[in-house]
Amino acid sequence: MTFAALTAWQAWAVLIGAAGLAAALFFIKLRPPRILIPSLSLWQRVLDASTELTLWERIRRAVSLVVTIAIAIVLALSILRPSRIGGAGASAHGRTLVVLDSSWSMSARTRGRETRWDRAIAEARRIAASSDQVAIATTADGLVQGLTDDSVLVESALARLAPSAFGDTSWPTVSGVQSVHFVTDGAVPHHLDRSVVIHSVFEPVNNVAITAFDVRSTLTGGRRGPDSQVGTAYLEIANFASKPQTVHVTMFRGKGKIADSNTNLAAGEAYRQVVPLARQGDPALHAHIEAPDNALDVDDDGYAWIARARPLSVFVVGEHTEWIRRLLTNDPDIRATFWTPGTYRDGGQDVTIFDRWAPPTLSGQPALYFAPPDDTPWLAVPGDSAKDERRPRWDFPGDHVVLRGVDPVTLRIDRARNCESASRVPIARTSRGMPIICAGESSDRRLVVVGFGPAESNIATAPAFPVLVANALEWLGRPANRDLSLRPGLTPFVGPARITRDDGESVPLTQLPASSFGVLAAPGLYTVESAGARNTIAVNATDPQRSNVARTTLGAGTNTAPPRNPLERPWWLACALAAFVLVFAEWWTWQRRLTV
Amino acid sequence: MALRFENDFLKKLEYLHVVSKRALAGQNRADRLSPKRGRGLEFADHRPYAAGDDYRHIDWKAYQRLNRLLLRLFDEERDLSIYLLLDVSRSMAEPAKFDMARRIAAALCYVGLAHLDRLTIIPFGDDLGRESSPGRGKGRIFRVFESLEQLEAGGPTDLRAACKAFAARPRQLGLVVVISDFLEPGAAPAREPAEADRVGPAVRDAIGPQAGLKILRTIGHDVFAVHVTSERDRDPGVFGTVRFVDVETGEVREIEVTPRLAAAYVKEAGKHADALEHFCGRYDIGYVRADAERPFEDVILRAFRQGRFLA
Repeated sequence: MTFAALTAWQAWAVLIGAAGLAAALFFIKLRPPRILIPSLSLWQRVLDASTELTLWERIRRAVSLVVTIAIAIVLALSILRPSRIGGAGASAHGRTLVVLDSSWSMSARTRGRETRWDRAIAEARRIAASSDQVAIATTADGLVQGLTDDSVLVESALARLAPSAFGDTSWPTVSGVQSVHFVTDGAVPHHLDRSVVIHSVFEPVNNVAITAFDVRSTLTGGRRGPDSQVGTAYLEIANFASKPQTVHVTMFRGKGKIADSNTNLAAGEAYRQVVPLARQGDPALHAHIEAPDNALDVDDDGYAWIARARPLSVFVVGEHTEWIRRLLTNDPDIRATFWTPGTYRDGGQDVTIFDRWAPPTLSGQPALYFAPPDDTPWLAVPGDSAKDERRPRWDFPGDHVVLRGVDPVTLRIDRARNCESASRVPIARTSRGMPIICAGESSDRRLVVVGFGPAESNIATAPAFPVLVANALEWLGRPANRDLSLRPGLTPFVGPARITRDDGESVPLTQLPASSFGVLAAPGLYTVESAGARNTIAVNATDPQRSNVARTTLGAGTNTAPPRNPLERPWWLACALAAFVLVFAEWWTWQRRLTV
Repeated sequence: MALRFENDFLKKLEYLHVVSKRALAGQNRADRLSPKRGRGLEFADHRPYAAGDDYRHIDWKAYQRLNRLLLRLFDEERDLSIYLLLDVSRSMAEPAKFDMARRIAAALCYVGLAHLDRLTIIPFGDDLGRESSPGRGKGRIFRVFESLEQLEAGGPTDLRAACKAFAARPRQLGLVVVISDFLEPGAAPAREPAEADRVGPAVRDAIGPQAGLKILRTIGHDVFAVHVTSERDRDPGVFGTVRFVDVETGEVREIEVTPRLAAAYVKEAGKHADALEHFCGRYDIGYVRADAERPFEDVILRAFRQGRFLA
């Protein structure tokens, strides 16, 4: 027997102490109220006459004492929660590691109305009950409870676990364990050591899932305006059931419904739907499906974000900006505003392009600087580095995302300025090593400095120009990288960031110097704020492998966990209930004066 | 509390008079028949003339017919001595009960004064207190009020000792009204009739308030018992564990009052009153129960008349 955090003798001491305390309290004479009466003689006669009731009085007091002690004991038991871990027969597994498969397929409801996860928890309890010590881990969270023989710790660990709807971490290892038990439904194959005992909670059930949902860009053909098409919503649905089902599909853009249909899907059939999206409108997309035989809820919703539904606001500041105007005014995803240095006011824009002019201090917004003047204060070159270079050669494009696809060979530069500083990292250098393109990133802003301009190069006509500008605007204006895994789970972010869910709640992040990590636990839309810019990403649990809960990768020889007994409950609950009933009975007896 | 009566109530009292079951000789002339023959207005009898008799009472018409000197005798109308023994022990300290007792005493005094009876108010506890005699006539009622208002409840009760002290002094026989709750510490209360018969007269008369009443009756007084009770005397009114304190002795008794025990107490209080009434009936002692919660006028005008104490 094990108890809370107590040894057996301590627990017995607590039980005996509780019983003794209850008995002592029972015999404590409370100070009753004093009532003055004219004479005690009448009471004397009454008490003399009622002496025959003394036996009943004694019986009543004895019963009341027993009930009081019983209440104290069951209350102590309900708090201590003794269990059979480490007790008789516990050596069947010795020190055991129980690993629970926490992929979202474990949330599938079985025909008995319980989930696979409920069955896995019950199986974990059974394993723990026959082990001397047990450790608990999940495939998503890793080790959540180290080796212990305390049933309360095991219970609390099991109680706080849930299918986490995202991918696996590395397989947990605990030194000193004698056996490893893996409780899984086999939806996702795991390469396990042969010594791992697999307990299957698989039961084939029917499910309908969204297996893909995204916004795909379309060519606009130069058309602009609110009625022009910004892209298409691509929705893919699969019926992982052994029978045909009618699936009700609805799609919302913001709060407005843009699609509502019923679709008959045969067993194993997939359905694809494409919905055109107008440029004007809410950028948030939400798809939802309903089906009569649908075991999983997490894959019934899909989310997408129409990034191009909101044009990027770009300020261009300079005296002669026609060379940039021609590029930006033709892009429907950009709303460009042109300023001269005298009229420029900072604020409200997503990105600012400074053309051969720069403010005395760095802009508070993400900014792209072309050939900033030599006397720009924040552009001072450190140390004895060369300030500029005549006819430099830029042979090799860097690997920064700003330079992705930029062809430097087509560029002819007469003079380039050194853009290096402590807060900026060179991303392109001349053949002599002088930085000519630099990028800087901090918690509140990003910037790109190009050390040459149209007056000293052919950049305005070079093929590299639109690619460089597009890359720079994308990196500056939409800092959340597009290489994110859009599945729920542990997600890395470039640089420091702040993540908020669509309900406004912040996602805790682990901040590192160059990056940060956060768990996007559930599907939905998340807003990423990084380097002074804001972007929205969609996270979806679209995985045909996990959504297909009608099949398993487990072999036929796997241990099969029995369904959970509906009456199986922690027995200390019964103790607490018994205490409540006894207290109520005692109170009711006292209240009704059911005494002699 | 000031003892004052409304005029209407006083008028009603004036129509009443205290009923004595026996004709007792008083000291002064009044309007109540006495066993003495004397100078009253109502003819009673003849007797032969003896030397020294008053000539004015010779019945000359009888002498003419019978040729014998006969003296006419008249019933003499005297006053009645009324002794009001008022319990001022601590058991009477409950305001409602003590106030009811004093008001009863005051009302009886007024009835007596209105009929020129001689009144003596004697407070008692375990002994007699200072007696006060207001005199004769209705106008003395205010002295009665004053003396009653000055009384305070305190000390233990011993009706037997008080009655013995009362009997020890030579007094004109009269009507003794005992106003009390008849609860005494130490002594068992009045037994119920069947039990009283079983224990025998020696035991029965030696214990409790009966002993005192019997002393008064034995020496020849006409005795009347006014049993003042309150709700607290009749019903404990509480449940659970209670520490009861006897106000007279200070004795403490912790009792868990259950519904059954409370019912037994109510029954016992009823038995106590019934036994006292039974005792009074057997010894030709008038008995009236006056509940403190009952309207005072109702007690005087109804209960006392039904008890044949006032007519």
